[in-house]
Amino acid sequence: MKPRKDLLDIQSLTDEEIEFVLENAVPFKDLFRRSVKKVPTLKGRTMLTLFYEPSTRTRSSFEVAASRLSADVTHFDVESSSVVKGESVLDTVETLEAMRVDYIVVRHKQAGIPNLIAKNTAASVINAGDGWHAHPTQALLDGFTLREVFKDLRGARCLIAGDIQHSRVARSTSLLLRRLGMNVAYLAPGSLMPREIPREIPQFGNWTDALEWKPDVVYLLRVQSERLDEPFFPSAAEYHKNYGLTDARVQILRERGIYLMHPGPVNRGVEITDKGMDYEKSLINQQVENGIAVRMSVLYWLRPGAQGGES
Amino acid sequence: MSNKRLYRGASIASEDSPKLTRADVLVEGDRIIGVAAKIEKAEGAEVIDCSGRILMPAMFDIHVHAREPGQEEKENIATCAEAAINGGVTGFVMMPNTAPAIDNAGVVRGVLESARRTRIGAGIYTTGAITKGRNGEELASIAGMKAAGAVMLTDDGFPVDNPQVLRRAMEYARDFDLPLASHCEVKELSGKGAMHEGSVSYALGLHGIPSISEEICIARDIRLAEYTGVHLNIQHVTTALGMETIKRAKDRGIRVTCEIAPHHLIFNHEDIGSYDTHYKMNPPLRTKEDNAALLQGLIDGWFDVIATDHAPHTEFEKNQDFASAPFGITGLETALPSLYDYFISKGIFGWDVIVKRYSAEPRRIFKLPPVPIVEGGAAEFIVFNPERSTRFDRDFMKSKSVNTPFLDKELKGMVERVVYLREELLSR
Amino acid sequence: MSPDSTQRLLLDKAAMAGAIRRLAEEICEKNKGARQLALVGIHKRGVPLAYRLADELRELKCTDVLIGTIDITQYRDDLAMMKMVPKLEGSDIPFDIDDAQVVLCDEVIFTARSVRAAIDELLDHGRPARVQLAVLIDREGREFPIQADYVGLHVKVGTSERVFVRFEEVDGDDAVYVQTSTAVK
Repeated sequence: MKPRKDLLDIQSLTDEEIEFVLENAVPFKDLFRRSVKKVPTLKGRTMLTLFYEPSTRTRSSFEVAASRLSADVTHFDVESSSVVKGESVLDTVETLEAMRVDYIVVRHKQAGIPNLIAKNTAASVINAGDGWHAHPTQALLDGFTLREVFKDLRGARCLIAGDIQHSRVARSTSLLLRRLGMNVAYLAPGSLMPREIPREIPQFGNWTDALEWKPDVVYLLRVQSERLDEPFFPSAAEYHKNYGLTDARVQILRERGIYLMHPGPVNRGVEITDKGMDYEKSLINQQVENGIAVRMSVLYWLRPGAQGGES
Repeated sequence: MSNKRLYRGASIASEDSPKLTRADVLVEGDRIIGVAAKIEKAEGAEVIDCSGRILMPAMFDIHVHAREPGQEEKENIATCAEAAINGGVTGFVMMPNTAPAIDNAGVVRGVLESARRTRIGAGIYTTGAITKGRNGEELASIAGMKAAGAVMLTDDGFPVDNPQVLRRAMEYARDFDLPLASHCEVKELSGKGAMHEGSVSYALGLHGIPSISEEICIARDIRLAEYTGVHLNIQHVTTALGMETIKRAKDRGIRVTCEIAPHHLIFNHEDIGSYDTHYKMNPPLRTKEDNAALLQGLIDGWFDVIATDHAPHTEFEKNQDFASAPFGITGLETALPSLYDYFISKGIFGWDVIVKRYSAEPRRIFKLPPVPIVEGGAAEFIVFNPERSTRFDRDFMKSKSVNTPFLDKELKGMVERVVYLREELLSR
Repeated sequence: MSPDSTQRLLLDKAAMAGAIRRLAEEICEKNKGARQLALVGIHKRGVPLAYRLADELRELKCTDVLIGTIDITQYRDDLAMMKMVPKLEGSDIPFDIDDAQVVLCDEVIFTARSVRAAIDELLDHGRPARVQLAVLIDREGREFPIQADYVGLHVKVGTSERVFVRFEEVDGDDAVYVQTSTAVK
């Protein structure tokens, strides 16, 4: 498979490239059972995490993945309180170019920043989440996890529930699962359901209708009430009652053998209750474990200086 | 430059018919002294071969940001004038969103003095702001600005949020016979939008500016204009429904005119691709359906004028992430070649549309005489060669800024000559 | 086959089987009394060789034989230079390498870079008591000081010649042949 320089979104990947990354993640997962969980693949290379938004989970997942490939790992501390405008991002990139970093993993609250960085550096850029736009490694690990459970995903059904409008996971994971042949549907309050989504995705405004669609998997999204600047819904309590996974709804999932996923971290009491977190068919931990294997597979495939990351 | 010039064998364009007329045009001094199928006798005249070329009245752009005073790193009136000439435009109207804003007689006089020093000084006009500092609260010195030479009022860049303020401004401006131009959007609906709200803004994860923001404001401003009797000019229309509303108002006899920018006919939100800020402007590129409706509107005569909304920004500013980059693209130099390449060369509409909408009607709005190619008329025209093409690289463009989607691209056709009274301002 | 090269057969199916049997007999003889013999095939064609050797060793009732496979892709010293990123087959060693008597299997030894990579990978799985190397074909051209313990056939070939081994499991038939490139490089 021809290497790419960057991984910025799912949209620009071909079906063959998606298969390549998912299939190679299998031997990387097998690696975890060895006592020496390391391979020398990226010895001497440097991966740098450039996180303008804090995230211990995603950042450490990438760091573990890179370390297991024998790469050197470093983090660029960005003032989390500074108003980060475009020009200082490019100033930072110039500094990184001078340090000859090989891989830059970027998270930013502004959509398109990883694209901008990728255009301005020879290093490989991996998008670890840019605003509402994309989170390609999350999508890949979600697809990988579902493949482990379902083997053949064609025709299987995934219901994505929550703040679809502001979710990069809804965009990337939804796209990837559809590329793998799944049927995807959305459940959200009207104010959080985007107006223009791909036609093949059914939309539901309540759990009753959504569950009638017979999903095999329910994928809960984070509701980031602290980030919402307009009145999208009255209160967290009302949200949980109508759109969250209440204990009663968890019971329905249990009865129907429906699996549960969440990109983490979980807002207990909003998307799901404490009890709900113990649901037996929750794949949340598997998602985390697979995240490392999938990110190793991505780092194995990308090459600094290779031809383009965008379509 | 010889006093007498014979432009031989040109195809003359006029607003009256899409048909071009083969003719020779004889110019002496600043007048056209002869237009005929063949002019045999022209002693002492310099002969200029115009076979295969279009000869058309020079253009007039009523929506241009010259960025003076205060933003001269992007453009100034002198470079803006050169950019205009480069595109075959010999007159334009400047917008007041400068620093400080053009909201009093002093600044009006200042920019007009700056304009006089350029090669097309007599053709450059300015608007004045509706409100002080364009703050939407207090009225600017409308009478003073009119006396100093302002030809239209607008807070362009911003709408006037408060309808009562806009109403009072309209009532006051009406008595000074100043048209009022509206940048139509509802600020709260536009929010933090960076592009059209639709399938592409969804996929790219960007805040969107919904069509209703423009549509609602157009409806509001038209009602206010009807109520107050002022001449309302709706700037840069981008929505099919907005255009419908204007159509219906014109049918009812309300004094409303409207502008269409070439980029809103040519591009749509899909062209933004992977966050290319060369396609970011306000109002934004909308859908293919809007393109088609607006194009039909232009062909059917519902748009009074074509106006580019020439908005220079430095490369440094445009080289940011999409949400942070400033809105706007340049347009003076690319307008005619782009309209030729995308529409005229494909037979979608004829030269009469350009002459009417980008030369004659823009002048009429300000009670200026159009410049048709007729015996006795002013010698203010351009020669356009459809067989050559123009490559818009940094060396070619005269604007200080290069923020155009046509940067380093080639378009069919080239403005070869710009004749301005006694001089040829451009000849290549 | 391109018009710029010629092919000559070295071993046909029967001869190949014979060579493999002799290899197995040699391995058996030299490892008599070994508690656990582990054959580890190097992807791609070292794998069918390892399986066939294991079959032969079982027929010879030699000793308990364990089987594993390794994919040396990530240990290659030229990985970064390759134009295409290879698909990973993954290594499968379902037994404890610590204290094992390992026989690495590959169909051809040439530069010995693959064997170097295989040994480094093996050591990341554990600490074997002993590592030996069995190859079907040994040809000249070492770039590393590594030799095979068990060789099916020594072959003398020129620098413009390449030895190919075909296994039915992978290529559809059994054969060993030499390809000579006559094209001017």
